[in-house]
Amino acid sequence: MKRTEPFEMYQPTSLKEASRLLKEKGPGGRFLAGGTDLVIAMKEKGLVPKYVVDLKRLPGLTGIHENKDGRITIGALTTMREIETSPVLTKKYPFLCQSAAEVGSIQIRNRATVGGNMSNATPSADVAPSLIALQAKTTIASAAGERTVALEEFFRGPGQNVMSTDEILTEVTIPKTSSRLVGEYIKFSPREMMDLAYVGVAVVYTLGEKEKTCEAVHIVLGAVAPTPIRAKKAEDALEGQILSEALAEKVGALAAEEAKPISDVRSSAEYRRAMVGAMTKRALLNAAVGPAKSWVERRDRRY
Amino acid sequence: MAELTVVGKPVTRVDANEKVTGEAIYGYDLVLPNMLYGKTLFSTKAHARIKRISTEKAKAFPGVVAVVTGADVPWTHGESIKDKPFLAQGKVRFIGEPVAAVAAEDEDIAQAAVKLIEVEYEDLPVYVDPEEACKSGAVAIHEDFPKYRKVDFIVPGAHANIAEHFKLRTGDVAQGFKESDLVLEEKYFVPMIQHAAMEPHSAHAQFDKETGRLTIWVANDAPFRALHEIAEALGMPKEKIRFINPLQGGGFGSKGGLKVEPIAVALAFHTNGRPVRVKFNREETFISTLTRHEAVVYSKTGVKKDGTLMAREMTIYWGAGAYAEKSPTVCIRGSLPAPGPYRIPHVKVDGYAVYTNKPVAGSYRGYGIPQGAWAGEQQMDEIAKRLDMDAVEIRLKNIFVEGDISYWGEQLHAVGLKETLTKATEAIEWGNKPHQIKPGVKNGKGFACIQKPTRSPTTSAAGVMVNTKGDITVLAGTVEIGQGCNTILSQVAAEELKVPMAKVQMHPLDTDVIPYDASTTSSRSTYHMGNAVRRASIHAREQIMEAASPMLEAKTQDLDCVDGKVFLKDQPQMALTLGEVVRRKFGPEGVVRGDGSYTYEIGKDLDLETGHSDHASAFYMYATQAAEVEVDEDSGRIRILRMSAAHDVGKAINPLNCVAQIEGGVVMGIGSALHEEMVIDQTGKVRNPSFLDYHLVTSLDTPELISIIVECAEPEGPYGAKGLGEPGLAPTPAAIGNAVADALGIRIYDLPLKPENVYWAIQNKKKKDAA
Repeated sequence: MKRTEPFEMYQPTSLKEASRLLKEKGPGGRFLAGGTDLVIAMKEKGLVPKYVVDLKRLPGLTGIHENKDGRITIGALTTMREIETSPVLTKKYPFLCQSAAEVGSIQIRNRATVGGNMSNATPSADVAPSLIALQAKTTIASAAGERTVALEEFFRGPGQNVMSTDEILTEVTIPKTSSRLVGEYIKFSPREMMDLAYVGVAVVYTLGEKEKTCEAVHIVLGAVAPTPIRAKKAEDALEGQILSEALAEKVGALAAEEAKPISDVRSSAEYRRAMVGAMTKRALLNAAVGPAKSWVERRDRRY
Repeated sequence: MAELTVVGKPVTRVDANEKVTGEAIYGYDLVLPNMLYGKTLFSTKAHARIKRISTEKAKAFPGVVAVVTGADVPWTHGESIKDKPFLAQGKVRFIGEPVAAVAAEDEDIAQAAVKLIEVEYEDLPVYVDPEEACKSGAVAIHEDFPKYRKVDFIVPGAHANIAEHFKLRTGDVAQGFKESDLVLEEKYFVPMIQHAAMEPHSAHAQFDKETGRLTIWVANDAPFRALHEIAEALGMPKEKIRFINPLQGGGFGSKGGLKVEPIAVALAFHTNGRPVRVKFNREETFISTLTRHEAVVYSKTGVKKDGTLMAREMTIYWGAGAYAEKSPTVCIRGSLPAPGPYRIPHVKVDGYAVYTNKPVAGSYRGYGIPQGAWAGEQQMDEIAKRLDMDAVEIRLKNIFVEGDISYWGEQLHAVGLKETLTKATEAIEWGNKPHQIKPGVKNGKGFACIQKPTRSPTTSAAGVMVNTKGDITVLAGTVEIGQGCNTILSQVAAEELKVPMAKVQMHPLDTDVIPYDASTTSSRSTYHMGNAVRRASIHAREQIMEAASPMLEAKTQDLDCVDGKVFLKDQPQMALTLGEVVRRKFGPEGVVRGDGSYTYEIGKDLDLETGHSDHASAFYMYATQAAEVEVDEDSGRIRILRMSAAHDVGKAINPLNCVAQIEGGVVMGIGSALHEEMVIDQTGKVRNPSFLDYHLVTSLDTPELISIIVECAEPEGPYGAKGLGEPGLAPTPAAIGNAVADALGIRIYDLPLKPENVYWAIQNKKKKDAA
């Protein structure tokens, strides 16, 4: 790794100040949160931002809060490790914690933030599919005020999102969900850890009260399209049905059809597509069984 | 033999503290006073003529002290074939070849200046496949190959791109196949991989005009050989060159020969006496230093119905990359035992080291054994399966045992192979079929056996000094590359001088003061340097006994040595410390120095026509590793559940260190089995030159490891020791490949066994079964 080129850095202490700064300096700036993407881009990949705005002095952007109305808000500067170990999330959405636990190493997760990860818009981001499957919304602030965008609509392509240059992602909100909601995230990669997802699959559905039918089905795929995508045909095929192994297989095949993978040095498109099918099936069946109790169990269920 | 007090004991590593606390200074950490910073411009073309290089802008850049290109340094080097320029001369032969270099006041300036160097290329045909590169009609990658200076054991091939053609001829394979009941012929492939040492490559160099001396600081694994290579290239007397070896943060074979050294030396002649450091980052290390040979292995084996091996014919194309480096010797030492540790009456091997336009291949832990084993050991299992024989049984029928004459004509002794086979397979409960627990997941077991020679004949020399405090300093040219030699050699000195380990220290490695050593390679150090240090220690002890004799008024044969004291055997209270003896004899600053050296004198080079030698290797290392795996049929992903590794080490000087060596080897072998490959496209570009996309195993991918030490003593070795470093990963991929074949009923011929490759193999079989 080399030293970065000289660059300007600002450390605003309020959203207002930050927004004003962005307006004044114009395009070409970068936000610094955990730095796990930005610093590497600057030191390894030759990125030279016009200026850098450190967001870590802005108040109120960290932490996981359970609201009275059942919504859960996650501050943009909340680290992956905080999500992974959050008692609230572990209880309600263990698969979300699991998806955070899949990111890099503990050292990386202690630095990497959910806001940074979303804003960076990597197609293989591990927490994105789980959050989209939970119908999470993003709150985006600027001097003009706040707006809300569904996370599903937030990504525009690799490295691209809906925010304009004077906007800052402040929080991610998970709406109130049914107590019968279940889910699973499977990251498929050759190594157990320290790897990028070749395929990521998040499934979330609510089990019917009497018949165990699958309702409000969400199947979200990572790393197989320019952004995380929903496999809507697959969702429709499962909606209102009782899950069986045969049905899970069929739904998986539909999801595989909907994926738009590319071939690269890691894997061929055909293999990624096949893995979408296999892992969707597995995720649907695992979700029905309930959360894995240990890392070993999780590993054994994944493969 | 008297009872051993330190040798054979699980002594803690002498360098453990400094390494775990981060105090240890590695080559990469070294900062010299008034040092300049070097940066290299690498070729972006795999095969091209250089039409023009312009360095004016770089030279004019403020803070730049020197810019050098091939025109400034008209030297070439090479261990066995002198084919590699210090910096590209007129043409480039791989992407990553050093073309020019800059020395500047800081690293940023050097980097910026490198970007200002302009190079114009004219493309030449690129060869990325070793078989293609030696087909008739292929353009010579080295037009001047016939003119290069070569060592006398080189046998060039029929095509200009064949740097070495090794031949082994025993019996008549045609006859052997005719007499066989089953003949199997298959093609196997092993890809190019990376050593991935934690510490990337670096070198520091300084040239003092007044004394005419060149000093090089580098964590090279063979400083004396590197010194020789530099001296020969520059036409400088050896006395004018000095190598200082800082600690090495792992090398696994990648830090022998000359890698960054020529660039640092090239710059050092243009910096007005200031030292210059050239440091590669990870990507540069990936593309520009060294790789392990890709190999295409054709293996044909004939057997009798009862499993008796009749004939084996192997043709191996070793992808040497753009320069010969150690390819000729990897080709020779890897092809020779490729048919496996078996009694086979008819054997024919042709090994070809073939130039390609890929990064240079050379020594890599295992030195050609893994490639041969990947083919040979899988084929053994395939034969067993076709004959409906147990895989252990067919091995037992054919493996080398004490006194066998090998197919290269050497009578073997100290053969611990059978014990490794029995113990490794028992450890994974070979007889019990694996349980199939999970649907869609298939379990299997497999194992592989290897035999590995060591570089022979070679020499190691050592000195041992005892001062008036009774402190022992060992002067040995073995490089601490992480393998634990400083601990092992300290144990040997402590054992022979009968002092506690804490009294022994290793002298820093500096070729000006340290006696000659051939190299820290080939698992040769414990045996060769162990013998040298032992002899030097005994020499020192004898001098002390001699000196103590009049002091204690006793004959030397009536004296003994224990716990740092010399005493009368029958009156132990009549004692003097070693230090006191030295002081009384030589005064307060006195030192006793013992010297010793060891050469495997009866070693004989292989015959160039037949590959035969009756003393091809000072000793042979034998090993068997066994694996139990599970394979997810839906994804092709392999999980290794447990792995046993039984290694015949002769004698474990330090069992703790042996286990660490075995574990380290197996983990590295698992990486090469499951994940590792340098993905190189048709233009010769490495597509995954980082640890993001080049997958080493992590601790979480590591299964239960069962390390088994087998001690079949080598009479010539110190205390019976052989070596251990290299074989640790040699049988690993083949063992895993056999386990996967057992699980799936599918033989996979190409490494790595990455999920995608396994998945398609499963799919293809399904299609075939359906048809």
